[in-house]
Amino acid sequence: MTLAVTTSFIAELLGRPRPAEWEKLREAAEARLAGRELPTTADEDWKYTDLKVLGGISFGPSPRATVDLSGHLLPEMVGTRQVFVNGHHAPHASCVSSVPAGVRFLPLSIASEACHSLGSLGNGEEKGLFEDLNTARFEDGAVILVPRNMKVALPLHLLFITKADTPIAVFPRVLVVLQRGAELELVEEHHGEGTYLSCPVVEVRVGEGAILRHERVQRESDEAFHLGMLKAEVAKGGQYHSRTLSFGGRLSRQQPWVRLAEGSEASLDGLALLEGHQVADTHSFLLHAEPHATSRQLHKCIVDGKARTIFNGQILVAPRAQGTDARQQSRNLLLSESARVDTKPQLEIYADDVKCSHGATVGQLDPEELFYLQSRGLNADDARNLLTYGFAGDVLNRIPVASLRRSLRHLVMARTQADSLGDLS
Amino acid sequence: MNTTLNVVTSQEYKYGFVTDIEADSVAPGLNEDVIRFISAKKGEPEWLLEFRLKAYRHWLTMTEPDWAKVAYPKPDFQKIVYYSAPKAKTPKYASMDEVDPELKRTFEKLGVPINEQAALAGVAVDVVFDSVSVTTTYKEKLATVGIIFCSFSEAVKEHPELIKQYLGSVVPSADNFYAALNSAVFTDGSFVFIPKGVTCPMDLSTYFRINNKESGQFERTLIVAEESASVSYLEGCTAPQFDTNQLHAAVVELVALDHATIKYSTVQNWYAGDKNGVGGIFNFVTKRGLCKGKSSHISWTQVETGSAITWKYPSCILLGDDSVGEFYSVALTNHKQQADTGTKMVHIGRNTKSTIISKGISAGDSSNSYRGLVKVQPKAEGARNFSQCDSMLIGQACSASTFPYIEVQNRSARVEHEATTSKIGEEQLFYFQQRGIPAEEAISMIINGFCKDVFRELPMEFAVEATKLLSLKLEGSVG
Repeated sequence: MTLAVTTSFIAELLGRPRPAEWEKLREAAEARLAGRELPTTADEDWKYTDLKVLGGISFGPSPRATVDLSGHLLPEMVGTRQVFVNGHHAPHASCVSSVPAGVRFLPLSIASEACHSLGSLGNGEEKGLFEDLNTARFEDGAVILVPRNMKVALPLHLLFITKADTPIAVFPRVLVVLQRGAELELVEEHHGEGTYLSCPVVEVRVGEGAILRHERVQRESDEAFHLGMLKAEVAKGGQYHSRTLSFGGRLSRQQPWVRLAEGSEASLDGLALLEGHQVADTHSFLLHAEPHATSRQLHKCIVDGKARTIFNGQILVAPRAQGTDARQQSRNLLLSESARVDTKPQLEIYADDVKCSHGATVGQLDPEELFYLQSRGLNADDARNLLTYGFAGDVLNRIPVASLRRSLRHLVMARTQADSLGDLS
Repeated sequence: MNTTLNVVTSQEYKYGFVTDIEADSVAPGLNEDVIRFISAKKGEPEWLLEFRLKAYRHWLTMTEPDWAKVAYPKPDFQKIVYYSAPKAKTPKYASMDEVDPELKRTFEKLGVPINEQAALAGVAVDVVFDSVSVTTTYKEKLATVGIIFCSFSEAVKEHPELIKQYLGSVVPSADNFYAALNSAVFTDGSFVFIPKGVTCPMDLSTYFRINNKESGQFERTLIVAEESASVSYLEGCTAPQFDTNQLHAAVVELVALDHATIKYSTVQNWYAGDKNGVGGIFNFVTKRGLCKGKSSHISWTQVETGSAITWKYPSCILLGDDSVGEFYSVALTNHKQQADTGTKMVHIGRNTKSTIISKGISAGDSSNSYRGLVKVQPKAEGARNFSQCDSMLIGQACSASTFPYIEVQNRSARVEHEATTSKIGEEQLFYFQQRGIPAEEAISMIINGFCKDVFRELPMEFAVEATKLLSLKLEGSVG
């Protein structure tokens, strides 16, 4: 990659007019971006994910557009959805009639209350390039504020849809704040058509004893680039459970960063189903900053065609985080000759009274399991497809929102061709 | 840093140095003349000098790696003396009675035989026993079956064709910063050649330990096992080793042809510095084995307890079909020690198998990291790897990290990695104490249980010593 190409990539994105809101935040981000280049595979963090291809595409500004929502609505969330098209809020597609009083579920552009919280997470940590790009250039996004002790019965639905006739860049932004004792289920979906770059940044604050269940679905177009950042801080006794399901994108990267305070809990599950030339990368960072927190991570990948998957999961246990209980698993299934898996679970531990473990496996389907199914009358293909579907199952089955669970199961069944066996959902 | 290095190293040698073969040592610093001097001094053939110069020139373009999880003041390569003639060893003590009682206590705890104790402590050897005759006996015995086992310099003179064929064939001179430096300035080391079909009649350890000369800070070891040959080699010993050279950058190359087996065991107990981290050896080693032939087998076993900084990744390149690579490691760090160690298993041939068992124990203020790579290349049909990396933490100020890299490009491969980190079991300790076993002894037993998968790979007598060594190293770290 030549220097000129990479520099122009960022400069080009920065060259556009800066949206007016959140001026101070944007200036700081631009200052950090000045002179920066796209990372290369020489950077340890991007060792397996080559962004060279980004440098060759010129991503223009994102125009407003209208979309047909019919395929995207989930029955539980008909009255609790905010829709953003090409990064802009789409008021006519959104509907918040069922959102309970007291809960703020608004576009960022009209939510002044977000002023102090936005961009404040994980301070002191170096901000990532794509996070800064988002801060400098996001058009709009969503704010969710759940007041103290309120348990929201209906899940909230965030839909980010991108329609690109020519290559465009979008920067969705989300801020979620749960005050003490609040509870919420949130579904965040990314869909799209055409060639585009999407760099979402999601910031989450889970208050003391609050519980957030966060389902994240990435179904970008096959030509899209999705480079997402998630930052979550979980206060004392709080719980944050997220599940990231990646199906789309030519190149996608999920970068969750979670900080756990005393006695809090987190689970970070992931499933990536890849084919063709797709590349999906997950770089997670779990910081056990305080004592007695628990974390669980199960990351599964099914890789077909010439696809590649990368997992880099880091767990850091700070010196005072005694009593930490952390487990991490990376499971990978290779379906084709040319598929590739690079996985690197990492433990960094500075406290002694801890229980931490991680594991990684890469392999194909178990021949004994295949044989068993065949002995029951399934043909070889069906047996393979069923087992592949089953591999994804333990992540899919835990999705609490029934309609979403069903639709994603159907999607996985179709992709693994297990649907020839009938409806397994 | 490179530019400075270039400036410094490319300038005229200002101490008026000429290739004076008669001189006993050179002034500190490194340049091409120093390398020519080393080569001339050792009477090396032209191609070996070229090998050194090529490595040196490449080294100049390299930067010292900083990806390892260790922090230390970077050595000044211009302050190191790269050659000094091996001095006739003057005995430090006339008899065992004069030896420091602390050192004697260490030997006793380790169970080192009395005559070896003397040798290791630096007592005039011939006072105690005649090492030369022992050495000669072994050498003759090995020679009858065609085994070559000699110093590296001797091998360059006696068997240049073998050295030329294999030197740098596993660790190329430009492999990494320290390997390049070693390739440029190595002074001596060991060479082992096991001819076709020969099983080495003894562990080369026994011989080696008695013959353990000072081989300098840039040691070079090359072991070649021909078709169906097999050998077990032990490097180092459990007794504490002191050295005035702070930087050690050794290179070890192993080559196993069809059906050959090489087992390489290391017990490393270099001086680790004092409790406050003052002094101590920097141990930057490149060790790699090439399973070149079909069904070849290379096994690394290491017990790393010494050195202030350890940077070491004994690796296997599994090129031959059905070849097997193994890595068994115990790394113990205490006080201010820092270790970043692990292995690389590169699966190239079909049905290649590798096993990694790594046990890290950190105590005091130390930092202990496992860093490993398992790579399955596209043609490595049926490759199989199993890795297990466990860490144990003793005390609140130490740290343990695990960085396994897994890269798989073949779908028929099966790769499994497991790692756990935990505190030494309080309940286990309690149980021991309840039965009247004091805490320190209990810890020693728990640690030995923790490490047994590795210890059982060591030659018997070393396993016994290694066990004792670990408890010795942990003395006073609990309670």
